[in-house]
Amino acid sequence: MTTTVTHPGANQSGERVLIYHLRDVVKTREAEGSAFRLRVPSLQIALGEKIALIGESGCGKSTLLDMLSMTLKPSDIGSFRFRPEPGAEPVDISNLWQKKQLNQLGDLRRLRIGYVMQTGGLLPYLTVRENINLSRRLLDMQDDGLVDELANDLGIRRHLNKLPHLLSVGERQRVAIGRALAHRPAIVIADEPTASLDPIAAERIMSLFIELVDELHITVILASHAWRHINRLGLRHLEHHTHREADGSMTETVVSG
Amino acid sequence: MHHRFKDIIWLASRDYRNEWQMSTFFIIALAAVLGPMMILYGLKFGIVGSMLNSLIEDPRNREVRPIGSGRYDSAWIEQLQARDEIDFIIPRTRAIAATIDLKSEKARNIISVEMIPTGQGDPLLQSKSIPQSLQQLVLSEKAAQKLNVKPGDEISGSISRRYKGRSERVHISLRVTDIAKLASFTRDGAFTHLHLLEAAEDFRDGRAVPALGWNGTNQTNDKRTYPSFRLYTRSIYDVAPISDAMNKLGIEVNTRAADIDIVRSMDKNLSLVFWLIALIGLIGFSFSLGASLWANVDRKRKELSVLRLVGFRTGEIVWFPVLQSAFTATFGWLTASLIYLGVSFTINGLFVTQTEGSETICQLLPSHFIIALILTLGSSVIAASLAGYRAARIEPSEGLREI
Repeated sequence: MTTTVTHPGANQSGERVLIYHLRDVVKTREAEGSAFRLRVPSLQIALGEKIALIGESGCGKSTLLDMLSMTLKPSDIGSFRFRPEPGAEPVDISNLWQKKQLNQLGDLRRLRIGYVMQTGGLLPYLTVRENINLSRRLLDMQDDGLVDELANDLGIRRHLNKLPHLLSVGERQRVAIGRALAHRPAIVIADEPTASLDPIAAERIMSLFIELVDELHITVILASHAWRHINRLGLRHLEHHTHREADGSMTETVVSG
Repeated sequence: MHHRFKDIIWLASRDYRNEWQMSTFFIIALAAVLGPMMILYGLKFGIVGSMLNSLIEDPRNREVRPIGSGRYDSAWIEQLQARDEIDFIIPRTRAIAATIDLKSEKARNIISVEMIPTGQGDPLLQSKSIPQSLQQLVLSEKAAQKLNVKPGDEISGSISRRYKGRSERVHISLRVTDIAKLASFTRDGAFTHLHLLEAAEDFRDGRAVPALGWNGTNQTNDKRTYPSFRLYTRSIYDVAPISDAMNKLGIEVNTRAADIDIVRSMDKNLSLVFWLIALIGLIGFSFSLGASLWANVDRKRKELSVLRLVGFRTGEIVWFPVLQSAFTATFGWLTASLIYLGVSFTINGLFVTQTEGSETICQLLPSHFIIALILTLGSSVIAASLAGYRAARIEPSEGLREI
């Protein structure tokens, strides 16, 4: 049932600081007559790493991202640790889930994680500036010029006081990237951030995104089904393998890395 | 936590403003329900209030009238006067002897008027100069018109009798101290000192009245009894106990208690009707608001899940629809209040000629506005709570991708 998993490009130096450390984490979903299981025997993501999760839809990318973003409770956890800062002690996420500390998980999300959604997910009633600043506002962060800097880098400075519906899809996606980074999170999770864009715009925005996370030393986990340009950006490709039972009753994806 | 509640208020109000067409629609819808309800209640409160007020203010509603005639002496009357519930009591002489013919120099006709005994504190002659002697009187408005006199004028009165087979007439000169309001006595009448009535009664009975130089038998009337009296209680609420007390003494009385009861039960029934209408209206509005908020949660699922994703807690997301519902309630109430003020101003203007001074047809007290706001806020928040519950169940992961 399981297949062997390799660790391409993994640098195994013992000194690297792990932001995620998962062992034997399983999520099972059952629907009429068929079941889906995502199994993570071992996953280590180091601080500052750039991870790409490439695969067709339905392979479990989203399930993994939801678990990593602490919005989806795993069915079974061997161990799940998350280190919010380089010097900090790792937080036992499995313990928080078991004790149903949902608000603490929410606080962790608010403080440490940024999200880039497939189609912006901007709040239509806030201006571009307010959208980018939302994560900062919720954390009571003073203005340190980062919002303007990001807007500059993302080429949306002239749109700062507009409402999102006046922007093109690509521009909105740039705003979404800005919002995900504005509060300097430890990690940014992006699920198909360029899926709604044409290939040229997609590539340009993707490079911009990676440039920015590099500059801000933010760890990034990126899910995409298109990997033509992903390779060129120097991301670590997270290996996974999907196996289907012959009768279609069970699909299992194993992720390791 | 405190700070993020402020953020939720900020976000909810920005969304509310951004969708101003939708918001305005619901504000108007609420005002269209609440405004007429306020007008309806204002009318009920104003009309019934005026009726109750005029009942309370009109002394005739405080009158307890004995039916038929009895034999009451001064001591008995004085002892009643001492009772707390009684505002004014004065004996009446025999009705048949209580008439006087009046003549003025300014009018041709002599009129015959009823004499009504009066004294200090007569509720029918509030703020009028009460006759202090038997040569003073207060005319009813109708009598004053016929005699063409005004306060301060001198008129002459005459009383006639058949005595020892002959017809006799005595004259007395009288001063009009005041004119009574039309409502106090609608026929030809004169409010006079009790002594004048007693004199007229004595004269007609054939007795002499030395004080006025009227001849007759010298047999004095020491044990005078009166066949009736005028009695007014202090308030309309004292009417029932006093009439009961009278009945216990075997004195049958007439009161306007029935009128008072009619207004009171009308007040009760109208209140019931009003609250029924208000209940139906508010429930209907709550349902439509609730349904729209519920649908809003579906429509804004993505945005709400984004809020969850950026770290808002379940309990905070609930406030999103609840706050927006409270905005609708507050603005709807404001609009309804403005509608009410405009309409009530117009209504009161229309009826200003038909109402007396202080009466208003349509009236609400400040406390009524507050109650309306509290009721509206309450029902709106209840309507929003289901939507809030639904919003709270949105998973943050829904925001990550298209569903």
